[in-house]
Amino acid sequence: MAGEKLETIAVEQKTEDRPQINSFGDFWDYFKKELKPRGNPATAFNVLSGSAIIFGAILLLIRFTTGLGQPVTNLSQSFPWGLWMGFYVMSGAAFAGGGYVLAFIVYILGVDKYRPLLRAAVLNALLFYVFCSVIMVIAFGRWWNIPNVFLGNQFGASSVLLVVMWLFLLYILTSAFEFSPAVAEWLGKVKMRKTVGSLAMGAAALGITLSVLHQAGLGALMVMAKAKIHPLWYSEMLPWMFLISSVYAGLAMVIFEASISTKVFTDQMDDENRQARSDVLVGLARICGGAIFAYFCLDIILAQSEGDLGLVRNRMGYWWLLEIVGLVAVPGLMFIHGAQKKNPVTIQAASVIALIGILMNRYNSVFLAYNWNLPFAEKYYPSAVEFLIAIGVVCLQIWVFRWIINRLPVMRKGPEWAAKIDKN
Amino acid sequence: MSRKLLFLVISVIYLVLIAFGLTLVYSIDTSKPVKQTVSMAKDNKISIAHTEIFGRLQRPQVVFDHKKHEDAYRKEGCSVCHPVNDKKQVIFTFPKQVRGKGRKVLMKAYHDECIDCHKKSAAESKPTGPVTCNNCHKKEFARLRMNYPVAEFDFYDHNKHVRVMKEKFGKSDCGQCHHTYDVKDKKISYSKGAEESCYYCHDLNKKRGPEFAAITKAAAEKGLSVERISHQSCLNCHLEYRTAYEQVPNEQVHKIHREKVACNVCHPSNDFKHAASCTDCHIPLDCAKCHTGKYRTVEELKDVPRPDRGQKDMVSLDTRNARMKSVSFSHKAHQADSRTCRGCHHEGLRACASCHSLTGGPEGNGINVASAYHSVFAGQSCTGCHNKIKANKECAGCHYYVSAMNIETMNSKKDTCASCHAGKQMSMPKPLPYSGSVKEDVQIDVLAKEFGAASFPHRDVLNKLVRISNDSKLATYFHRDIQTLCKGCHHQSSSSAEVQMPQCRNCHMADNDRHHINKTRLISAYHRQCLGCHEKMEMTKGIKCSECHKKNTAPLEITQLKNQNVVRQNTSTILNAWHPK
Amino acid sequence: MDRRTFLKIIGTGIAGSTAGNLMTPGKSSAADSASGPEFYGILVDTTRCIGCRRCELACAEVNGLPKPDISETANETVFKSPRQLTETQYTVTGSFTTEKGTIFVPRRCMHCNQPGCVAACPVKAMKKRPSGHVTWDSDCIGCRLCMVSCPFDVPKFEYGKAVPNIQKCNLCWERFTQGVLPGCVEACPTQALIAGTRRDILDEAKRRIAANPGRYVEHIYGEYEAGGTSHLYLSAVPFDQIGFRQDLGTKPYPEYSSFYLKSVPFVATLTPLLMLAVGAAVKSGRNGLEKREEKHEEKGKH
Repeated sequence: MAGEKLETIAVEQKTEDRPQINSFGDFWDYFKKELKPRGNPATAFNVLSGSAIIFGAILLLIRFTTGLGQPVTNLSQSFPWGLWMGFYVMSGAAFAGGGYVLAFIVYILGVDKYRPLLRAAVLNALLFYVFCSVIMVIAFGRWWNIPNVFLGNQFGASSVLLVVMWLFLLYILTSAFEFSPAVAEWLGKVKMRKTVGSLAMGAAALGITLSVLHQAGLGALMVMAKAKIHPLWYSEMLPWMFLISSVYAGLAMVIFEASISTKVFTDQMDDENRQARSDVLVGLARICGGAIFAYFCLDIILAQSEGDLGLVRNRMGYWWLLEIVGLVAVPGLMFIHGAQKKNPVTIQAASVIALIGILMNRYNSVFLAYNWNLPFAEKYYPSAVEFLIAIGVVCLQIWVFRWIINRLPVMRKGPEWAAKIDKN
Repeated sequence: MSRKLLFLVISVIYLVLIAFGLTLVYSIDTSKPVKQTVSMAKDNKISIAHTEIFGRLQRPQVVFDHKKHEDAYRKEGCSVCHPVNDKKQVIFTFPKQVRGKGRKVLMKAYHDECIDCHKKSAAESKPTGPVTCNNCHKKEFARLRMNYPVAEFDFYDHNKHVRVMKEKFGKSDCGQCHHTYDVKDKKISYSKGAEESCYYCHDLNKKRGPEFAAITKAAAEKGLSVERISHQSCLNCHLEYRTAYEQVPNEQVHKIHREKVACNVCHPSNDFKHAASCTDCHIPLDCAKCHTGKYRTVEELKDVPRPDRGQKDMVSLDTRNARMKSVSFSHKAHQADSRTCRGCHHEGLRACASCHSLTGGPEGNGINVASAYHSVFAGQSCTGCHNKIKANKECAGCHYYVSAMNIETMNSKKDTCASCHAGKQMSMPKPLPYSGSVKEDVQIDVLAKEFGAASFPHRDVLNKLVRISNDSKLATYFHRDIQTLCKGCHHQSSSSAEVQMPQCRNCHMADNDRHHINKTRLISAYHRQCLGCHEKMEMTKGIKCSECHKKNTAPLEITQLKNQNVVRQNTSTILNAWHPK
Repeated sequence: MDRRTFLKIIGTGIAGSTAGNLMTPGKSSAADSASGPEFYGILVDTTRCIGCRRCELACAEVNGLPKPDISETANETVFKSPRQLTETQYTVTGSFTTEKGTIFVPRRCMHCNQPGCVAACPVKAMKKRPSGHVTWDSDCIGCRLCMVSCPFDVPKFEYGKAVPNIQKCNLCWERFTQGVLPGCVEACPTQALIAGTRRDILDEAKRRIAANPGRYVEHIYGEYEAGGTSHLYLSAVPFDQIGFRQDLGTKPYPEYSSFYLKSVPFVATLTPLLMLAVGAAVKSGRNGLEKREEKHEEKGKH
């Protein structure tokens, strides 16, 4: 009782620091104010990415009026999924894996060292899933029917995609909830902050469950393409492989993002935060190295047990070796080496290579090693429009990410009143 | 600065690797590369690859020019490269000595003998061959596939050898080539009247019965495959007789040839200082002379007398205790229609019944005498061989639709069996008469709608079938009666039926019979019978629609949904299964 | 679980099924059902097909697709290149040169007993009807997972349209409900196609093989492939020579994803509990450690 009183006093003392939002009108005004760009908007990046977004939007108009065929995408009857599904849905979800892995480390294992990275990782995951959904709307031919997946009683209960889409939706909600303390702090909502803060652990546990399920689910999507995916990439254990690779993919994304943020969002970080960074990176790199090691061993064992290792001597074999050695084993060793020597540069380089490896892996199961034996004329390669739209969506995601980082306490510490709530 | 450079280098390496990989992935060509095929016989070349021992080759195969080496060592003889056995016969293997087994030993043996000899010749400043890897293992050979055309010592060759040996050299001893092997004494012997084919003992790939298997095993231990022994026996003998030919004085040679051949046959481009070798025409030694890649057909061998081993012309196949009447089998007629003896006599030249007993047993490999004669698929059985002939295009038109003569599938009738099991010598029936009495043309117009009626030249077709039947001895024998040919199309008509030639539509209804899905509807009955026969007989006419039909109008709707649904809805039991009342 | 239970589940959806059954696409082969309504199917005897392409024309007529030119001159050029189903052709006849001459093979949807496409569809737009017909309807979201999951590459997508449909043979479902044979079967002039219950056509296929020794390879394609299909094929030459894949296995395709789907309810219920338990354990362990340290420090002070 006494503590509560103290707290109220403390909060009241700081009242003038936080925005007073009591109605929707207040929120709208505040939001409009916050929406305005800060600083000089006419930087090179802004101009380039802005035009990419506008261009992408125009191309989207064409896509929605003429359909998915030429000239919009190069998809064909032999290659129903291409760049969009491969990049956003398959790889994007893996890149967002950082959200659940960090939540596990921080909330469940209680390692507070990584807490400063958590909010950014969760935000990143949230945005990836939101834009995943956007891409699904773009990539699915009959997008207006997508509510059928969630409403009505037409559920294809034996469909992996139904499960995955539901998990996407639930995870978006859960990660939004996980992220809501930052929103509450931004809006200065004490009560809301208190409520969501106390439920953080539950939200984390739920988020981890949903993530584990849908990371594996993305692998399970391709499991029925047994007849089409090259045996070096196909295995009935694909769900496991996707799950394990999402662990290091997510962490590699966190490392990559952290290294960029330290340069781009310098103003968001205090000195304490910045100094702790390298220590945090080393820890993450170690976990990454371990996960890659596990993935590498399992992949080799799977290929061996299914009798596919004999196939490495041809063209696809080279491509597989390049992936499993050059883009998995090498960054794994670099992670471990960098962690040992506490060398952030090696770790960052490793994270970039590992991310490319994940991208390659997902592309392989979606179109590179999918129907691999078709002649060149029937092969799929992304069209320019597909690239441009994907770039536009990525730019938009970066814009939203940047806007939130700059407004909300994601990288920087929250207001003091929030810290006090956490302490009690 | 150096760190930046390192990054640049690493990223460039990765970019190159990935770009290279992508080009590989996108350039996968599933069509197999066409290898160039070269015939060995053409210029006496031999491929040295031994993939059975080396597996995947590290270097391209060697294509060895045998002719060149042969010419170079004409004086010294074959024994320069090939080993000689104690009977002074050249054994045509290479290398001379291979000490032990395995890849390295074999490779070393080749390299030692080839390269040593080439070096030696070079030291003696004679013309020599390559000593470095790539000059023998030439890159261009990698995609080359050598083709070894077959050589067959058939009845023609056999007859020629018997004749020439007798006429020219006065030798009528078959033991020069034929022999048997006694497994106990481990000795080769020859006894007259027991000659067999080389294949029975020396074909190491084929599984034989216990008697031949013992001999084959002994042959296999010595590596005496058909390939090896035929070169050994043929070539040693040919080499011997070449010398004999070459020793004939020139005057005599001229005397013999002057009348028969033109000068430029032996003196090409009228170069009278040199003459071609005798072996160009006689006693072949070049690969291509025997390896022609061709089997002589039965037709080509028609007039060649078969080897005389005392076989009877007519054999009565009479199995004791079998209730079937005996079959009078004309061995003479059948051997004239076979290219080899071993096509039927698969286990030595003996009677079928000597192994295949009435009840079957291990000595006949579990095959009783009935199967031995009637097995549908065995090439050696009567039925099997007849079925093969019935699959020829002349016969297949009808026989494709007639079940094979099989004890299981056919409805055995007395007269079918009796055509062979007559208990007496059957005479060849008279050729079938050409018919003038059947309908000349038949209009098939029951179904004419989209297409016009088809006119079927009924009499011409029958007469063509009669001609085909009369041309073949087999067909003449079995088609004893013109009714047999009618049954080819009028398949269900029987002599005891009320109507002898019912119409197709009597049985085949115009629509699909949904209660009996197997039943052929009229349109299919016509098309399958007509087109099937035309296709199986590989006819060029009567395959396309317009060759039988005239197109009437623009195509009707093929599928007539509206008219039919009312009638069928209640009649279909299939449908009722899913829509129970 | 037998096939009918599978049907019930894909038929009834989430409501009314327990979670365990819900995610199980079932595992049965075609062979185990000896009673009850059988799937409807077509037996294709490739030794009878003459390559006239009237099935293609009939199919186009029935389904309102662009009508192909099946004149003899057109057929000559059409058969020169390998043929595949497209979004405007539910059935195509391919021509293969084999040791037994030219063989024509009409291909269309195999109507699997347990179709991968049906299991893959999140909105049940792809349906396996109780009669065996695999049909598509407009609830589809256009995700094209059915195309990914089909071992025979059958569903085709209309890329060129703003309102695209999945196009595939539906074994003339409409005509079936009216009691009429499928268009292709109706049109075939040589009865290379016969329609009937799967049991009947399987019997007929076996009968043909037995009655004509040596004419067919002793394999009925579709009897066990991918768990069994309602389209069965007979051939005179090994099936890989006439464009059929021999490496599809006999496991029904939905079973490949069944392990994942079965484990979803378990993982979904157990993982949060496990997470919270681990979290609590770590927390109490840490608290205990802190207390001991405090005690230690206090002792040190003394």
